[in-house]
Amino acid sequence: MTKMRRRTFLKASAATAVLSAVPLYFNFNDYQKVASEAPINKIPTTCNGCASMCGLFAHIKNDRLWKIEGHPIHLKSRGRLCARGHGMASDLYGKGRVTGPMKRTGEESFEPISWEQAFKEIGEKTKEIVNTHGGNSVMWLEHGVRGKYYADQFLDVIGSSNYVTHYSTCFTSKTNAWQNMVGSSLNGDHENSKYMIFEGRNFAGGIIPHGMNQITKAKEKGAKIIVIDPRYSEIAKIADEWIPIRAGTDLAFRLGLAHVLITENLYDKVFVNKYVEGFDEFWNVNKKYTPEWAAEVSGISADKIREIARELAKNAPESFIEPGWHGLHSHYINSTQTAQMGIVLNALLGNFYKRGGLMPSASIALGSMELPAQFHPEKGPRIDGAGVEGEFLTVETGRGIAQRLPDAIEAGKLKALFVYHFNPLRNAPDPEYQKKIKNAELVVSIPVDWNETSIYAADYILPESYYLERTEAPMNVSGHISHDHPQISLRQQVVKPLYDTKPLLDIMRGISNEMGYSLYDYTVEDQIKAAVEPLGITPERLKQAGTIEFPATVKPGFPESNGKPSCGTFTGKIEFSIDLFRLDGKMGIPTWIPPMVMPNPDIKEEFRLIHGKCPWHSHGVTSNNPELMAITEQYNGTAMWLNTKRANDLGIKNGDTVIVESDIAKKTVKVRVTEFIHPEAVWIPAAYGGFSKKFTTSYNVGVNYNDFIPAMVEPHSGSTMSQEVIVTVRKVAN
Amino acid sequence: MARYGLLIDATKCTGCMACSIACSHHNQLSTKVDFNRLEFVEKGTYPNVKMEIVPLQCMHCDDPPCALVCPTQATYKRDDGLVLVDANKCIGCYYCIPACPYDARQVNEDRVPEKCRFCIEYLSVGEQPPCSSTCMNEVRLFGDLEDPDSELSKKLGTVSTYQLIPEKGTKPRIYYVKK
Repeated sequence: MTKMRRRTFLKASAATAVLSAVPLYFNFNDYQKVASEAPINKIPTTCNGCASMCGLFAHIKNDRLWKIEGHPIHLKSRGRLCARGHGMASDLYGKGRVTGPMKRTGEESFEPISWEQAFKEIGEKTKEIVNTHGGNSVMWLEHGVRGKYYADQFLDVIGSSNYVTHYSTCFTSKTNAWQNMVGSSLNGDHENSKYMIFEGRNFAGGIIPHGMNQITKAKEKGAKIIVIDPRYSEIAKIADEWIPIRAGTDLAFRLGLAHVLITENLYDKVFVNKYVEGFDEFWNVNKKYTPEWAAEVSGISADKIREIARELAKNAPESFIEPGWHGLHSHYINSTQTAQMGIVLNALLGNFYKRGGLMPSASIALGSMELPAQFHPEKGPRIDGAGVEGEFLTVETGRGIAQRLPDAIEAGKLKALFVYHFNPLRNAPDPEYQKKIKNAELVVSIPVDWNETSIYAADYILPESYYLERTEAPMNVSGHISHDHPQISLRQQVVKPLYDTKPLLDIMRGISNEMGYSLYDYTVEDQIKAAVEPLGITPERLKQAGTIEFPATVKPGFPESNGKPSCGTFTGKIEFSIDLFRLDGKMGIPTWIPPMVMPNPDIKEEFRLIHGKCPWHSHGVTSNNPELMAITEQYNGTAMWLNTKRANDLGIKNGDTVIVESDIAKKTVKVRVTEFIHPEAVWIPAAYGGFSKKFTTSYNVGVNYNDFIPAMVEPHSGSTMSQEVIVTVRKVAN
Repeated sequence: MARYGLLIDATKCTGCMACSIACSHHNQLSTKVDFNRLEFVEKGTYPNVKMEIVPLQCMHCDDPPCALVCPTQATYKRDDGLVLVDANKCIGCYYCIPACPYDARQVNEDRVPEKCRFCIEYLSVGEQPPCSSTCMNEVRLFGDLEDPDSELSKKLGTVSTYQLIPEKGTKPRIYYVKK
């Protein structure tokens, strides 16, 4: 790196036009001088290192981002940020960004065009598709739900029902079960708990800093932490016990726990009688699933299952099975039943709406703008099949099925696709299959960087301004951790855009105006004003504070109305049996469903491929960051974990390169031979395997689990079943 | 006169690396330089295993061997005990690198063997440096060892600690919580 002296730094900083050429770093001695002279402006905003959106303060010197720190009020950060948050901030100056609107000129080649030309061409093409094939041939696909407010207006006016998120690749079994059985989602009250089970949930890998802080604090106060996972994950490091489980058998383990709680009369009968519907139906079907049976399936001894169930009961209601997130909830054909069993077990412990058990995330109603009435054409059925009778009736329509789009394109149902901050070519199963997305008549990608979807499938790339360069409508701070006090938080611009990029609102306005609609006749400032003024807050105050906390709205106690339970389901109770599933000819209650595939114990090369988050990357989105990738390099972060004994049987040594092969892919990867993983499984981190050549840091580094799995659909919740795959592992011949 | 020290409770560390990158940003280090590093040690045999993590960095020793061997006093110890590097005096002989038993020196892009500087601008106003303030598990606690009322001194009174390689006689000022 060229050494940058103070004078050059100041000169470069003064000329914002050349900022993009300025490296982020200046050395320590220079920093000392600059720091002593330039004022530091600390501006609150929110992180985009993952979807948790922690509050942060950006430190700006000479119009340039220097560093970030956690917002002390924001309940997800409480002054602390994880590595990916710090890394993503510096990617503002990173090499992978798209610098202006692009139009495809050939395979993997693009030419820069003006925004005017992009809007005109995309607007005309979309209008032609809507006129010819109907609005329902247009789909909006995004990570979710950052673009939903704008996307909904667009989809409504053209008459499309196709709003789809990445959630089916991530956690839909969980949200489906909670919505149908409870009517809302609750979170572990980690801070006040005495006994917590983290099953397939690595809070120290998929990090909410304050959530993890609460867990370690609870442990200091004496709480017991049990981690059940085929891999010794980061949270296992602070657990009292790590219990490896055969991957794919968590449902059996949970059925075994329920058996102990019920047969030993350890469950909370008063709670169940009052607040649970369908207990008898559940028990009649599941009586046969004893701890001995569960031990046979899961590999966890019957004694241990009894011990855990008894300890859970002893500490109830200040004990819980962490409701979890990605882990378990998109991985198996039985993931929905596993999620259902999480609710059943917690209900048996009577811990709903109890301190130390499960509690809500408080929220507050933000105001909204009055939008002018528009003509809304009738919409057709969703083309991903979510919620459609005879297809995937039980899949949540608000989330959709992201992984089978090429089918919809091939069937002629999907003609125009808008992809906002999602990268299905890397983050959905089977990239070769996902590449067929390019066969749609129009593909528009709205990213910040040159991701794989943009390069291989998009006709147009419309770069959004980086999250530190744009202001968004305020949001409730909510999800994943419980809290009594509602908070609202604002993402706001902390530096001027470096390149010719726009916020999503301006992009949508540009396209829709060309189509003859005036849908977005407002500014983000109007949105902020409308959102906060009913709360008695000025936009200026929110901008200055970044995060504002309100008096508590949540108290312990099951929701009741007129003395009757009213938790948001039809009966107002926790429903052990899901009506919608029965309506679709499925079992309403959870019961045993074996995993779709299992490695053959007689074949020494066979393993189940499992995956998970590494603490300093957020799947693919952070992987081009040079600092985060330097950590990966230093700590051998891309290696595939392989059990020592199994490795010995195969003649594989630590650091060897092996061939990993599934039905659809064959890749080579370095291995870490370790005692920290179940012998039946191999584990790879979820962050790697980038194949965008514009990502100079992440290109061709490591492998990705999506390479090995076909694009499947779990029939209850629509998830990808991303661990229903058997691979063979062989040493590369010398 | 303050005398700064650090208590590390590595039993709470889960290896997320936030300390390392917060340090890098605050001190504007290149990706090749890393003032904080973690040593991961696997112990046991499946399934009875345990991971140990040891955060490592400059110990700001009371008797710093790096300062002793430095021919130009580029590495020097201040009255408050901080061991610092004056890059303008460094001639790049690198004697300090092998002299340090903790392998704490990192050659930066200016070819100066730099290291953790305890972020004195935070310590002197009673705040925690970025590596500590960003840590979600509160693994690191900086403070004034001379001040009996400092949070650090109080905490040191309640936990048993150990230090790394005491036999070298460097008197490091980082204390680790015993498991």
